[in-house]
Amino acid sequence: MSGLVLALAVNGLVWGLIIALIALGLSIIFGLLDIINVAHGDFFMLGTVVVLVLATSTGSYWLALLLVPVIGLGVGLILERVIIRPTIRQASLTIVTTFGLSMMLQEGVRATYGAQPRRMAAPIEGTIPLFGIDYDVYRIFAAAFATLCLIAFFLFLTRTKLGTWIRAVRHDPETATALGVPVARICAITFGLGTAMALLGGAIAAPITTVEFRTGVDILPFCFMAVIIGGLGNLQGTVAAALLLAVMEGLVTSVTDPTIARIVSLGFMSVVLLVRPHGLFSGATR
Amino acid sequence: MGALVIDGVTASIGKIPVLRGVRLRVEPGETVALLGRNGVGKTSTLRAVLGLLKRTGGTATYNGVNLDTVQPHKLAALGIGYVPQGRGMFPLLSVKENLTLGLTRAPAPEVMADIFRRFPRLEERLSQAAGTLSGGEQQMLALARCLVMKPSLIMLDEPTEGIMPKLVSQIRHEIAEIAKRGISVLLVEQNLRTALRLASRVYLMERGTIVHEATPDALRADPASVHRYLGVSL
Repeated sequence: MSGLVLALAVNGLVWGLIIALIALGLSIIFGLLDIINVAHGDFFMLGTVVVLVLATSTGSYWLALLLVPVIGLGVGLILERVIIRPTIRQASLTIVTTFGLSMMLQEGVRATYGAQPRRMAAPIEGTIPLFGIDYDVYRIFAAAFATLCLIAFFLFLTRTKLGTWIRAVRHDPETATALGVPVARICAITFGLGTAMALLGGAIAAPITTVEFRTGVDILPFCFMAVIIGGLGNLQGTVAAALLLAVMEGLVTSVTDPTIARIVSLGFMSVVLLVRPHGLFSGATR
Repeated sequence: MGALVIDGVTASIGKIPVLRGVRLRVEPGETVALLGRNGVGKTSTLRAVLGLLKRTGGTATYNGVNLDTVQPHKLAALGIGYVPQGRGMFPLLSVKENLTLGLTRAPAPEVMADIFRRFPRLEERLSQAAGTLSGGEQQMLALARCLVMKPSLIMLDEPTEGIMPKLVSQIRHEIAEIAKRGISVLLVEQNLRTALRLASRVYLMERGTIVHEATPDALRADPASVHRYLGVSL
């Protein structure tokens, strides 16, 4: 029993790392552009579908995994120009436009890929013994790869000029403009980056989840909870909150069903908002 | 031809007009002060020049280039530097990141050596978060960040605001040094004494327009105008 509990906690950790990647995308988009992106979960769904289609057509999951974030960046840049930029700095309007985008993405996938849920074979087969049960090797890879992506993202943000510009524009776009930072381009790149992270999360998660047009509907509230509990716009806080929530849901699921686990998460978020309205990690570096 | 010529510029915030035909010029190498009470449109004038506040009428030119044809983020490359009110620090970025934010390439060693000679405390604090600096140090960093981009005009918005009195003279000295290098300065300042000491020409502003232009000496000899437009006595 205790082995099962630990395995579910590890499962939660694996999911938490993938969710952290997706929620980070949501958080940087919100922090920089003031956009409440209701379509973010559907970008994750798009990642699962695109990786499945590409892996099937090229015969290589690894090639598909490399291509998906590049496609995500391109999709994000186009959507930013066509849909986001006309409504920028109008948070309430962006809810409406991204909700419309969410519908378009879901129905677009249903119309082309089909409504039938599919499973994707794990590119790494086999299991290893973990806490007394056989644990999928791919899940360990997914956790390690998501961790590498998170580290790479923070290194990009702190060690590159583009990352420094993104942090500067998040704080004060006017002064950044006066100093020569191309703010409009930074906003577009950030939206593209956030989108790419969601699609990448989908590509990593595809072999351990169901691939269908509604996959993103379940992910979105989890990401929002991570962003809110972590402190709006607090990137490190978002990662910590995603891990905390996922492990907590994993542990609760070991004694009850997943719906109750989600209710517990929502209850936890409510308590956090009552006790610390700016999030659990609001004092951390943003 | 003046370095900066603002001719009849109008602008609004929402539906409220904040600039009503502002006319002023800054000649190459000249230091000009723009004075007025709070809320008369001094900061808005600077923001309108930079394109941060949309100009709804009139023209702004810099060295003959119509600024309507230049994107706001390209004005720095045109030679226009800006030190905003409140210093415009990025508090979570390091001193070094703040200092080089506007540069796409590493600054030349001699440029950095010059900056550190003028502001030695910045060199000691390069890796420190800018938000941990004192107000005076932040103002020095704001000036240095502007100078590292080699501007030919610097627009300073209230550079001595909120600075310890003993540091005000140091900042005043640095602005005078900037002017000695032939860099034009447009100075928005509440501190009348600082403005009159540094500027060769002064504009007084009221309700979004320029109402008076004088040399510092002429203004010192005209306490009635000073009292009328600035509400202070010399």
